[in-house]
Amino acid sequence: MIIALDFVLRLALWIALAPLLPGIINKVKAWVAGRRGPPVLQLYFDLARLWRKGVVLSDLASPAFLAASAVGWVAIAAATTLLPVGPAGASLSFQGDFILLIYCLALARFCTVWAAMETGSAFEGMGSAREVSYAVLAEATLIAAVLALCVQTRSLSLPGMLAPATGAGAILLAGGLFIVLLAENCRVPFDDPNTHLELTMIHEVMVLDHSGPPLAVILHGASMKLLLFALLLTQAVLPTGHLAPAWAGVAIGAGVLAVTVGVGLVESLLARFAFRRVPLLLTMAFLLCLFALLIAWKGGAA
Amino acid sequence: MNETLNLLVGMAMGLNLLALGSGRLPTLIRTVALQGMTLGIMPLLIEPRFEWPVVLVSFATVVGKGWIIPSLLRRAMRTANIDREIEPFIGFVPSLLLGAGGTIAAVALSRALPLLPEHAGSMLVPGALASVLTGFVLLIGRTKAISQVCGYLILENGIYLFGLLLIQATPLLVDAGILLDVTVGVFVIGIIVDRIQRAFDSLDTRKLTVLRE
Amino acid sequence: MTAGFLLSVGAVAAVAATAAGRRLPRIWLSLVSLACAAALAASVRVLAGAGEWEWRSTYALAGQPVHLRLDALSALFLALLSFIGCSGAVFSREYWSDEHKPDSAPRGRVAWISMLICMALVLTVSNGLHFLIAWELFAVCGYFLLTLDRGNGDARAAGWLYLTCSHAGTLALFAFFSLLAVHTGSWDLGPMRDRPELAPLFWLALFGFGVKAGLFPLHVWLPSAHANAPSHVSALMSGVAIKMGVYGVLRFSGWLPTPQAAGWVLVALGASGALFGIVFGFVQNDLKRLLAYCSVENVGIIFVGLGGALIALRHGEAPWGILLLAGALLHVWNHGAFKSLLFLGSGSLMHATGTRELSRMGGLWRRMPWSTVLFALGAVAVAGLPPLNGFVSEWLVYLGLFQAAATRTVAAWAAVPAAIALATAGAVALAAFAKASSVAFLGAPRSDAAHNAHECGPLMRGPMLAIAALCILLAFLPSLLWPALMRAASDWNPALTAVALPAAMPALALIQATLAAIAAVAVLLLVSRATKTGVRRGPTWDCGFAAPTPRIQYTGGSFSGIVEGWFGWLLQPQRFASDPRGTLPTSSVRVARIPETVLERIVGPVAAFVTGASAIARRLQHGRLQAYLLYILAGVFLVGITVFLGVFL
Repeated sequence: MIIALDFVLRLALWIALAPLLPGIINKVKAWVAGRRGPPVLQLYFDLARLWRKGVVLSDLASPAFLAASAVGWVAIAAATTLLPVGPAGASLSFQGDFILLIYCLALARFCTVWAAMETGSAFEGMGSAREVSYAVLAEATLIAAVLALCVQTRSLSLPGMLAPATGAGAILLAGGLFIVLLAENCRVPFDDPNTHLELTMIHEVMVLDHSGPPLAVILHGASMKLLLFALLLTQAVLPTGHLAPAWAGVAIGAGVLAVTVGVGLVESLLARFAFRRVPLLLTMAFLLCLFALLIAWKGGAA
Repeated sequence: MNETLNLLVGMAMGLNLLALGSGRLPTLIRTVALQGMTLGIMPLLIEPRFEWPVVLVSFATVVGKGWIIPSLLRRAMRTANIDREIEPFIGFVPSLLLGAGGTIAAVALSRALPLLPEHAGSMLVPGALASVLTGFVLLIGRTKAISQVCGYLILENGIYLFGLLLIQATPLLVDAGILLDVTVGVFVIGIIVDRIQRAFDSLDTRKLTVLRE
Repeated sequence: MTAGFLLSVGAVAAVAATAAGRRLPRIWLSLVSLACAAALAASVRVLAGAGEWEWRSTYALAGQPVHLRLDALSALFLALLSFIGCSGAVFSREYWSDEHKPDSAPRGRVAWISMLICMALVLTVSNGLHFLIAWELFAVCGYFLLTLDRGNGDARAAGWLYLTCSHAGTLALFAFFSLLAVHTGSWDLGPMRDRPELAPLFWLALFGFGVKAGLFPLHVWLPSAHANAPSHVSALMSGVAIKMGVYGVLRFSGWLPTPQAAGWVLVALGASGALFGIVFGFVQNDLKRLLAYCSVENVGIIFVGLGGALIALRHGEAPWGILLLAGALLHVWNHGAFKSLLFLGSGSLMHATGTRELSRMGGLWRRMPWSTVLFALGAVAVAGLPPLNGFVSEWLVYLGLFQAAATRTVAAWAAVPAAIALATAGAVALAAFAKASSVAFLGAPRSDAAHNAHECGPLMRGPMLAIAALCILLAFLPSLLWPALMRAASDWNPALTAVALPAAMPALALIQATLAAIAAVAVLLLVSRATKTGVRRGPTWDCGFAAPTPRIQYTGGSFSGIVEGWFGWLLQPQRFASDPRGTLPTSSVRVARIPETVLERIVGPVAAFVTGASAIARRLQHGRLQAYLLYILAGVFLVGITVFLGVFL
């Protein structure tokens, strides 16, 4: 009973806190541009508004269109239950949980692509094609990063992998994971969450035909995914395992905030890359993680 | 001391990869300059005592590789009105993967080489091998003369790293010689670049194939 | 009822089915089902721990005493064979029925049950000579099934290619079994791990069985064969027949000693094959070719597991070795299940639309809801996504690889690249099946055929439902299967001691089930919310484009265009295009084709050279008696010189 309550409470916390991140990013962007910007809680208002609105469905969409949004959200939520948060640990952890986490995110991607293709729109097809193609490189990078952590700590579950200090490769790992965070969450320089020029987008273009509650679910899922990656990055780099629980919590919070602000700064200072440069950047991220892996391996042996 | 040195060599290796992946000439030149400066600091770390010649050569390397050569290259680029985009023969991603594979191979190889015991833990040898390889990839895989000059500079940096191994035996002789070589070389290339530009209206080395007769 | 009794019942039923196949389709079907049920029951008994079944007879066939054996390893494959064999037989009653194909349907029934018998024999015989005979008959039955539709030129060409490649493999197996017999002095097969001089024979077995398994560079026959065969045959070939190759490598890498490099070579071939196979698959626009290449990927995953287990054996590190082997064995079942489901699904699509081209389908969910759901289920499973069975076996393989990497020993050099290759292959597999399912079933119909499609009947739907149920079962109950996998693993090589079920397995199954349940609840919640706030239908927004036609939907070719560009060096895509010209262009053509690179760029030229050389040699054979007498004289002369040299030097 306690376990169930714990599980539900954690999930509720995830659900409640996640929409803060896009708000902070937007605030940073506004601050850099010298504007006042939307309130930090803007996404909450948007979600509430969308939840009340009606749905316009494409004539071509099957019942699976709505189902895909819901399943995609559940998949991301499942991934969040596997990610430990500092001293509080994870709701669920077992040997090989990181594989389930990565594949839950993949399931979410499959659902988004499925829903996008339901509408028969060429633009949404284009976005889906980009999403699945860039995910190939992002997934290779992510597995290399997890391998680096696994080799470093000789642990096979996320709580063991993320707690101890990372070694010399931490900077490389941080760089690689940050690039993956940007790519997987469709931020600049891979995608521009603010533009409405469909030809140039990845994720936004896939949800063009979503409206009302399904769109709210998709947006909320995206914010949870952002928080997930920010937490993963922070804990992979910061040696929180050596701190007292309270300080570890503070450090993780500060880390996530730093990552979020970093995303905002990148978004303010960089322009979106041409699509042909995207594989190059992701390859760099992959190599960063690969070298972090080699350092963890050889550094540990020496 | 050794840790800092290894860190610097690691940085130089990272800059190799950055050079392979950069798609614009100014970035490439900046990367090479940064690598040159990184290398310039190294003699100070290797030589335990404070000696004037070391400081002098180190200073000369930092200034020469970090400032003089890049500004020469930038000037050549400006006067010759070169397009800033790099056109690769070997695409960016393949050359990046090639460079990364080369780096890993260099690290693996240097473990197998019969080195002096005092160099065993050092990254100098793999760093040198990786830089030479990167230089070759740039020389082979790029079309523009300026980016090839950058490849040549990285190759020279690799040889310089090898030279650092000899610093105890023949203090700074190799380094000073290389520095001199490079400066003269870049002067000459700067002049040639200008000539090529006037003769062919382009700096595309592919067009030099008409000279084969 | 013992396994022997069950197997003899199955054998009798199967032989009777061969006789009934031509004229009595209903009786044929019942007999096939009976035979399959008996074989399944026998293998379940063996897998459940009833012990190995062995039968030696004094009766000699081809000069060798008959020796049959069913241990847990062969039972694992026999169970798959009987399940898919029976499902395919039911499917074929509607798909390849007497009404539609009056001339080939009877032939198909006989060939089907013969193929099942031959494969069952391959799995059970324990004599080298008999193995070769069964293997050859199995290959020939495959050829007859593949070319059921004799009028189809593509199918005939694919059949020839299949037969040629299959025989190239059989040639290696001839050498393998003969050398084995020479070394051991008997054709009898069994464990002989203590004879290190036999180790080099592994390479012959790897080639011979690798061809049949579709291991990457040897897979050249597979895409065209699986694409052009009737779909129920494709399902059998992809789900079961290529597993015979896997079985061969497994069996003889377990019974014989293996060379030092064997594990490394298997991991390297498997990992690169998984990645390249699925990349080839992703860029195909022919649904069945896509599925066929995906089989190459999955065989790669199986071989990574097997190779890893061999490396673990060498280093005495059983814990991760057994995880990898268990993953590989479970993946044999999983791939057999979801791939035959997908091939049967593609058969249902072809039945309805008459085409395999993805770009002529689209919007089929409206007409074919059952097929859509079942195909999507298969797609999620094959992409290795939770909560279905593909994920469980891939998870085991990953876990083994990560454990190997964490040891930081030399084995990590195999595990790290393999894990990265598998992850990349997994992401491409997701892309490939997102493409296959969405281009075929979603959006608007792209052709009249797709517009007028019809759902398949109960005899086609039933087997697909059964296999889909198997997929779900394998996903949620892997912990029940664990003892069976361990028995198979210890029959493979007892040095690999069985380990207790990893604690994570039941947890994983529970999480998968919970995930599925919560997802269902979430879907209901969202649907109810949407109906509450009101659902309006409208045309796809598509950025306000006013006159959409189905032709402007994103095609499969464009969907895979980005990845095609990345792997252009491997895929070597060919394009024939005449671009539109002028202000009012009349016509423009664009044809894109992805060649089977290994076949057309490597095997083809080599074969052409051999053919050319043979043509020159054939000039010696012209029918003139005088010249032949001259050859004899020259031959005698040559022998004389040799003898002379031998005596005096």
